[in-house]
Order: sequence, then structure tokens, then C-alpha cells
Amino acid sequence: MSRASIKSHFTNWREWELNPIVIKELRQAVRSWAVTGMLLLFLTVLFITSLIFLVGQSFEVSENIQLGGSMFSAFVVILAGASIFFIPLYVGVRVAAERQENNPDLLYVSSLSPFRIVLGKFLCGAYMAVLFFSACMPFMAFTNLLRGVDLPTVFLVLALLFLVVCAANMVAIFLACLPMSRPFKYLFVIYGIFQSFGIISTLIGTSFLMMRSGVGAMMTGKDFWIGVATGVGVGAALTGLLFVLTVALVSPPSANRALPVRIYLTASWLAGGLLGFSWVAQTGDASRMLAWTYPTFGVMMFALLATVSNADQLSQRVRRTIPHARWKRALAFVFYNGAAGGLIWVAGILVATFLITDEVVTAFPKSYATTAANEHWFATTTAYAFAYALSALIIHRRFLSRRPPKLAGLLTVLLAGAWAIVPSIGLFFLNQLSWKSVEGLQLGNVFNVAFLRDDGQLLYHLYFAFSWLLVMLVINAGWFMRQVRIFQPPVPVPVENAPPAPK
Amino acid sequence: MKVQVKNLRKEFGKTVAVDDITFSFDSGHVFGFVGPNGAGKTTTMRIIATIEEPTQGDILLNGISVCEEPELARRAVGYVPDTLPAHADITVHEYLDFYARAYGLRGKKRTQAIEAIEEFTNVTGIREKHLKALSKGMKQRVSLGRALVYDPDVLILDEPAAGLDPRARVELRELLMLLAERKKAILISSHILTELTEICNGVVIIERGKILETGTIDDVLKKSAPRRTVAIRLLEGNHHQNPQLLKELLQTPFVVNARDVANEIHFELTGDESAACDILGGLIAKRYKIIEFRQTKANLEDIFMNVTKGGV
Repeated sequence: MSRASIKSHFTNWREWELNPIVIKELRQAVRSWAVTGMLLLFLTVLFITSLIFLVGQSFEVSENIQLGGSMFSAFVVILAGASIFFIPLYVGVRVAAERQENNPDLLYVSSLSPFRIVLGKFLCGAYMAVLFFSACMPFMAFTNLLRGVDLPTVFLVLALLFLVVCAANMVAIFLACLPMSRPFKYLFVIYGIFQSFGIISTLIGTSFLMMRSGVGAMMTGKDFWIGVATGVGVGAALTGLLFVLTVALVSPPSANRALPVRIYLTASWLAGGLLGFSWVAQTGDASRMLAWTYPTFGVMMFALLATVSNADQLSQRVRRTIPHARWKRALAFVFYNGAAGGLIWVAGILVATFLITDEVVTAFPKSYATTAANEHWFATTTAYAFAYALSALIIHRRFLSRRPPKLAGLLTVLLAGAWAIVPSIGLFFLNQLSWKSVEGLQLGNVFNVAFLRDDGQLLYHLYFAFSWLLVMLVINAGWFMRQVRIFQPPVPVPVENAPPAPK
Repeated sequence: MKVQVKNLRKEFGKTVAVDDITFSFDSGHVFGFVGPNGAGKTTTMRIIATIEEPTQGDILLNGISVCEEPELARRAVGYVPDTLPAHADITVHEYLDFYARAYGLRGKKRTQAIEAIEEFTNVTGIREKHLKALSKGMKQRVSLGRALVYDPDVLILDEPAAGLDPRARVELRELLMLLAERKKAILISSHILTELTEICNGVVIIERGKILETGTIDDVLKKSAPRRTVAIRLLEGNHHQNPQLLKELLQTPFVVNARDVANEIHFELTGDESAACDILGGLIAKRYKIIEFRQTKANLEDIFMNVTKGGV
């Protein structure tokens, strides 16, 4: 976007219009019996609950000075139940219905960008949450008059609950956009409902804790705000990741789907690293750095699976955006679609993470109980993961090249799974399967690294994993170099043969 | 606007839905896309509309590839599926308004565009009705309105006449002719071939994913049915002359397969129109009381039956 277009965008603020998806979805929600019915039911339950509390109090001899707090707790439970179950379910079902393959999905043939489509769906969920929260607000304000709960607590609990609902909406949209069959989506819905119970109970537990302590009293402390900011930050980062992933899922296959995801993850990784380091610097406790190291490792393992599922051939539209300058092209190779560049990206982030963690631990040694076994564990697991991924790539290229590239990701999982299960099955049939045998050395089995009885044997795993990885690197070297060579912008078409410029 | 379908192939697992097809059509053309069920028509249309991705080949809309630049190509294509997607809880007006917004129409321009389209597709009277409450014909109108609201240059209509009553079909035909006059490039699939003959300039006949015939209607007719049938009817009360007339015709050049069909004499003419003129002149000179002498050209239905085998 040029500077002039940004300027004209702001100067023409009178012509700003809401995202069309938000308008459509809200119009549909207003007419929907599901939303209207749920809202009426929600209000009725709130009203009856208030009546029960007030009538119950009138029979008490002594005045309950905590009545406001008790009522507020009940309202939080009702609001959390209604908004965490209903709104994400409603939003997710609508998106899934529009993504159905047998229903010509005309929403996605409009000229709306995938970003605006996903943002529209997300905002619609947020607006609906605001609707439910607004309906609840008079009842909650009333609890403040009855004493037992302070206003800061009310606002903070509601704000946190609102953020959780928004995050749950994003999860629902992401799941609805996954390219899966309907039965799998139903399974996810069932899993999501069970998971919601956990979220609701945690949330309610936290809000009860806040009410008991009183947020007003805690607000003066720095630690309170650091805790809140960390929680909100982590939640926002995860929601953002799901948003970026959903945009990638909705984008056409010829788009540069990997670019925004890899940029987002790299930026989050950097921000997380800086925060982790500042935490370590403040407390002097190097173990705080692991709050960044472990999640990075977990996320990068998923990223590795997604990366090997990338196609080797870049679409024409992606090739057109490859920079001509060598160093810019090298950077683009790492961030653009493609398995080869993706492997470099994952490896780069993991190696940097381990090195930074190691440096921090060395610089702040006072409370970090590091062992060689920890470092070996990280190195071995990473080497195994890459060895599986590279083996899967070879199998796909040699034997399944006509099948979709996502099969390589599946093969990676299957290789790891098969290597873990097959020895146990063999031992079972030989009547040798025991916990002792599971804890024994099983070279090639990545899960065995975590269960080894003898830490000394970890070195055997380390050598084996790196040897395997080395062999795979040598075998894949030709393919990798080819990918680097062909990562070039397209040769310009002579002017006389060029297709007419689009209107 | 030129639409070029180039070596298009689409596989669904092991099934080849579309097998290396190539054809093109232009602005102001109404192209019929015919074939038996499962021939690959809808798949091709969905690829043009950027809903599906081809396994191989490409479609260019004035040089813009639907595979490489789907977002850009989408702006040029209006797609009318065989059924209107079942969007719940939305009125006709709101539905059209959403698409107008989605295609970037703003303020007064949007209001005017929607009103014009509602009038053009004759849905003004039902604009506040829910989509789900509409009849099939009304849904087709709304679907066409949706495709037209942003004034695309290419229209892809998948079985738009299916399930419509005769009046609605006539109205749809008139609408399509108007759109062709407005220089839209139109690709229409239909099983009602007699109607297609009346409105189409060109035709693509497809079966089992492969093109059997393509070109202008006249070219295809000439190529696939070079002979035309002529029917002669004598004045009422002169039918006793039919056997004699039959005998006469069998000895006439350019006449083959003469036969008596329900008091009419039918024969196939192998010559051109001047040959037909000579035959008529000769018969009148021989004092046959001819009340009707008509040529019946083969229509799309005949060609379709000739070239397709009915395989899926």
C-alpha cells in the first residue's frame, strides 16, 4: 500500500464501510431463531437466578453481606456457559456450512480477500459476544449494589471472559475451515465441547479467586499487571496464530500461503524471546527462559510437519513475487511456499532457540539446574524429527510423486509412529513386552528418548539420530540444491506476446 | 472479453472428470455447453468460476489465469450454479446487497446497482422475502441477479432452466438474449437443447470429459448433419397422389430416402438450397397441388443424439 493510498484512505473516512461479512452475518444472526432463542433463554435464566437469590435472602435472618459476590459468581457461570458454548458453535457451524464442498460456496468466489473473510467471521463472533455481555450487564451492575464484589473485579472478569470467548470463536472458525470431512468435524465439535468444560471451570476458578482477593486491592501491584498482560499476550498470540492459519487455509492454493504464517511465527518467536530474556534479566533465574524454549520446540515440530507437506513447484503468481536481488531472494526462499525453504526456516529457528537458551543459561547460571541430558534430549529429538521428515520427503518423491504433497507430512507421522509401535508389537509376539523392555534402548524410536531407563544410553540415540539425519541430508542434497536453483523469478514475456493488462 | 479454456484436465482421485478440453468464446456470444449427466460440464464451469482448481491446463479471461490470479479472475466472472446456496435467515435484498458490498460497490452506486438488478431480474416484488422461502424459479432469478450485481463480463450458467415453468423459461431466454446484446460472454449448460438452439451462437458437446464437437451452431450442424429433411404436403383431398409423388421423387437427383409419413412425403436432400428450389419448381410444373414445402434442419438435439453415446 503506497503512502498516497493510505493518506486517501484516512481522508475519505466518510466512505468507510463495515466488512460486508460482518453486516451479512449480523443480519442473519438477528433473523436467526437460534440467536434470538438463546438470548431469550439466557435472559430468562439470569432473571430466575436473580429472583432465587433475592427471594432466598428474604428468608434469611441475618443479612448476607456477600450476596452481590454470590450472585455475580452465578452470573459469571451462566454467561461463560452461554457464550463459550453457544457463540463459537454458532459461528463455527455457519462457516462450516459455507465451506461445504457440495454446496457451491459462493461466499468464497466474491472478490473479498481471505483476510477480510476471516476477519469478518471473527468480528461477527465478537459482536455477538458483546450482545450477550450487554444483555448480562444490567444484572451484573445490580450485584455491585448488593455488595460483596468490587467494580474492578466485575470489569476485569468480564474483560477476560470476553477475550476467552473471542479466542474460542477463532478456534471454531479455524476448525470449520480445516479441509476435513464432516464426521471429523463433528468429532472436533464433541472434543471442543468437552474442552470447553475445562476452559469454563478454569475461568470460573480464576474469577472466584479474583473475587475473594478483590482485584481493586491487587491492582496496585506490578506483579498483577505482569500476570494479566502475560496471560492476555499469550492468548492473543495463539488467537493470532489461528487467524493467520485460517487465512492460509481459505487462500487459494496458488497463493503464497506460507509467507504470512512464517512471518507471524518468526515475529512471535522474536517477541517471546525478548520477553523471556527480560524476565530472566529481572529475576536472574535462567529457567524462566524455558517458558519460551519449550513452546518454540512444540510449535516448530508442528511447523515441520506442515513444511514437508508443501509442494515443490511454486505457482506462477508466487514466482512473480520472487525478488531479483540475491540476498532478498535468499530470505524469500526461507519464507515462501516450499518444503526446502521451510526446512531451513524450522532448522534456523530451532538452532537459534537452543543456542540462545544455552547462552542465557551460561550467563545466568545461579538457579538453572541444567544437565547434559537435557541438551542431549533436545538435540536428539530434533535430529530424529528432521530425519523422519527428510525420509518421508524421499519416499514421497520416489514412490508417491503423483500423490498430493501433504502425504509427506502424514508419512512423517507414520514413520515416527511405526518406529515406536513395531518393536513393541514384535516384543509382544515374542512374549518379551514389559515396561522394562519399553524403557530399554530402541534406536530410531523418538519416544524412547523420553522413557530411557539409563540416561547414559541417550548418547547412543544422539549418535544414531545424527547419523541417520546425515545420511538423509546427503540423499536430499541434490533435491535441495535443485530447489534453490529453480527459486527464480519468471523470465519476462516479450511485450508483443504479453497478455493484455487486466482492467 | 475472450474466454480461453486451454487443455483443461481435472481429476478427482482416479476419476478423470475433464480430459484435456480446449475451446473459447467471446463477448456477445452465448455458448451452449451440452453433454449427458456426469460429462464434466459442472466441473468445467466451477473451474472457470474459480471454485475448483484444475489438475492441468488453464483458463484465461482476457489473459488473466483463473489458476494464477483467481481473485482477479473472479471480478470478471458471474457464476449461476444449478441451485442457489441455502443461506439461512437472509432476504433477497440483503443477499444482493452483500454481494454488491463484497465486490466493492459503495453508497449510492451500490443502491442503484441493486435496484437495477432487482428490476432487470424481476425480483423487486420479492426483495423482502427470505431466500429459503422462494420457489425454484425465483431462486434462479436471484442467483442470476447475484451474478450480475457487479456487472461481470463473463456469465457462467449451470442448468439455469432446470425446474422452471414454461413462462419462466421464456423470460430467462429473453434475459439471456438481452445480456448477450450487452456484450457479455455467456456459457450456458442445459438439457433443454431446443432452447439452446434458439439462443446460442456456439456450442460445445462434451461426453466423459472429452469434447466431441465444438464451434458455431451452424458449423456444427453442417458438420454433423450435412443432409436436411424436406417435407411436402399436398392439398387436402389430393393425398391419393402421394404414391405417384413418391415415385417421382425417387427418380429426382439429390433426393434420397423418400417416404410417406402421416400423409406427408419426407425425403433427405443431399444438394443445396437451389436443388430444393428446382425440385419444388419441377413438382409444381407437373401440377402437383403442393400446400406445404418445408425444410427441417437438424437441431442440436439431433446432433447431440448422433454424436454422444450416453456414456458416463
